[in-house]
Amino acid sequence: MSFEMWAEKYRPKTLDEIVNQKEIVERLKSFVESRNVPHCIFAGPPGTGKTTAALCLARDLYGKAYREHMMELNASDERGIDVVRETVKTFARVRSIGEVPFKIMILDEADNMTSDAQQALRRTMERYTETCRFILIANYSGKIIEPIQSRCAPFRFTYLPKTEHDEFLRRIAKSEGITLLDEGLEAIFEVCGGDMRRAINTLQAAASFGKPITAEIVYSVVGRAHPADVQKMVLTALNGNFIQAREKLREMIQKYGVAGTDIIRQIHTEIFRINIPEPWKIKLADTIGEIDFRLVQGSNEEVQLSALLARLVEAGYQMKQQT
Amino acid sequence: MHMAWTRKHKPQTLKEVIGNKEAIRKLVEWVKAWDKTVPKKRAIFLYGPPGIGKTATVEALAKDFDMELVEKNASDYRTEEAVKRFAGIASQYSTLFGKKRLILFDELDGITGTQDRGGVKALTEIIKITRCPLVLIANNAYDPRFTNLRNYCLLVQFKKPPAGEVVKLLKRICLREGIDAEEEALKFIAQRSRGDVRSAINDLQALAQGKTRLTYEDVSWLAYRDRQENIFTVLKMIVYARSCMSAKQAVDMADVDPDMLFEWIYENVPRHLTHPEDLARAMDALSLADIYRGRIRSTRNWKFTRYFLDFMTAGVAMARQKTKPSGWIPFNFPKRIQALSRSKAQRKFELEIGRKIKRKFHISAYRASKEILPYIRVIFENNVNMAAGIASWLDLDAEMIKYIVSGKQAEAIIKQMEIL
Repeated sequence: MSFEMWAEKYRPKTLDEIVNQKEIVERLKSFVESRNVPHCIFAGPPGTGKTTAALCLARDLYGKAYREHMMELNASDERGIDVVRETVKTFARVRSIGEVPFKIMILDEADNMTSDAQQALRRTMERYTETCRFILIANYSGKIIEPIQSRCAPFRFTYLPKTEHDEFLRRIAKSEGITLLDEGLEAIFEVCGGDMRRAINTLQAAASFGKPITAEIVYSVVGRAHPADVQKMVLTALNGNFIQAREKLREMIQKYGVAGTDIIRQIHTEIFRINIPEPWKIKLADTIGEIDFRLVQGSNEEVQLSALLARLVEAGYQMKQQT
Repeated sequence: MHMAWTRKHKPQTLKEVIGNKEAIRKLVEWVKAWDKTVPKKRAIFLYGPPGIGKTATVEALAKDFDMELVEKNASDYRTEEAVKRFAGIASQYSTLFGKKRLILFDELDGITGTQDRGGVKALTEIIKITRCPLVLIANNAYDPRFTNLRNYCLLVQFKKPPAGEVVKLLKRICLREGIDAEEEALKFIAQRSRGDVRSAINDLQALAQGKTRLTYEDVSWLAYRDRQENIFTVLKMIVYARSCMSAKQAVDMADVDPDMLFEWIYENVPRHLTHPEDLARAMDALSLADIYRGRIRSTRNWKFTRYFLDFMTAGVAMARQKTKPSGWIPFNFPKRIQALSRSKAQRKFELEIGRKIKRKFHISAYRASKEILPYIRVIFENNVNMAAGIASWLDLDAEMIKYIVSGKQAEAIIKQMEIL
């Protein structure tokens, strides 16, 4: 077994190594052949190979010394307007020496850039097109301002289908000499849903138990990495203890950093599993859907989810009244 | 061991008294004058706001001049009779052993009309004949009760020392107590005390005793404590309002900003609206209030503030339909705010680890701390070998490893790293 994080170790190095997103890869390869790359937006959910594709493109384009011709900035860490003004501009305006006359600037998590910084970026992109091409990477392209979108070729990444997911994980398991049972593989896909970074991290954490990887081990890893005991929280609320349920919610959000959307998705799954009168399930689905919508509009996830918990407390009370 | 710091760190000599240099100069001059002859004014009347060192100055003075300090304060009776008993002591300048005497009547404001009847008059009589220097202390020398007394006294005003002096003093105390305090924290305490040095020292002790480090975060809570009285009143007005108008009006009385008021309401609503249907209605109102807050942010249009306020006040008040009134229920401090502030240091450290991950992983430090770190933790808990490898690959230091896993496991990993 090796001592790196596998998600990095097994990251494809060239476009040829990328197993999924076939159409995207083909187009990127044509850019390499023609030695010309437009400004791009890579949009899609996490763990679908956006950053990988950008890095592979750069490597294929520039060869071994690709790092001299590209720069990778992470907008979540450096998202202010100053970064665009200073770092990006300084990099963008100096012409690259070599076969390819432009450099590549990868702006990862670009949807986290402030709108001011995006405005500044727009002008930089225009002005230095000759010397620098931008690849903006984002989960939601909608969060990139319209004028930038219109200057970029859009690429939409999707979750890996199960066959490719399985194939990739099996390859890692083989090369690391670990036993990955089919049920373990199923469990990883069920939990991570085609997010490869999460899948590989789960695989490695499961391998750290030093046993053949079963579904049970996978669930145990997920339980420990994201101890969102949503079921317990839902039952606590239905039993009428709002304050305790809210405590659990707080723990998930604040201590473990579980995202609101993940919590509500799990609540939704849970509602159909637990033992309550059938008509109530669909009634509650409506309530959950409403709060899910409010999550996007509101400013505070905990408040919105608490309102949902209060609805569950009310539902539990009304169910008792009916019987 | 748990001595009050106001006592433990009180000035040992006049040089250590902060501020009031002019007043102290006058006082010293007057005491020295007694060595030659009995001065015209046999008493000196020190006055000024509480906690700025009047008593401490007199005590330091006695020490500096090696005088015996005879003290009477509010806890003693100050009837005519009790004061007259003092006359004997006052009639002699020095003690049997040749030590000079200094008589102090502290907290003169405490002389009450009926109980200490005649006290002030008797005191005036003693001043007229005293053979020792006599010091009077009060907050307000211009109280009508002292009109006649004032004629026989040299009046010296004590003023609040500047905040900078207070900060210096707090620094000295921290140094002696072995506390590493942030300048900002001490400044905050000093400013908040408004020149009342005694309360500043008390606050410092309450906040810093037993610690080795005092940060601004540790002390900024004081501001909330001050406001609690007010916030309870406001919360009661909102949660128990019968009309929308009265709930809405409560906002104007609050001296916290609307976002903070929201947190207080959100924290306390479940304890005060206990019927499940009322609770659901109230939390729904808060959810809608939060939506308007989201709209304010996304449109940057502040006009939505009024709807935000409507829902968080009137919306909550009108939710009360079935909850039966019960006895007194306390209001709690918003836990969310507390947790956010407490976990700030923790998040900072996790981000530090996130930065290490970022150097190897193509992911932001923030997301690394949320998405990668949890898996690293599982590995660290399970597999010393793999953990040691990853730790050295990421270049984590011992402190970080100990943060990720506890105790023996962390030590095993660190040991394994040395072997590798």
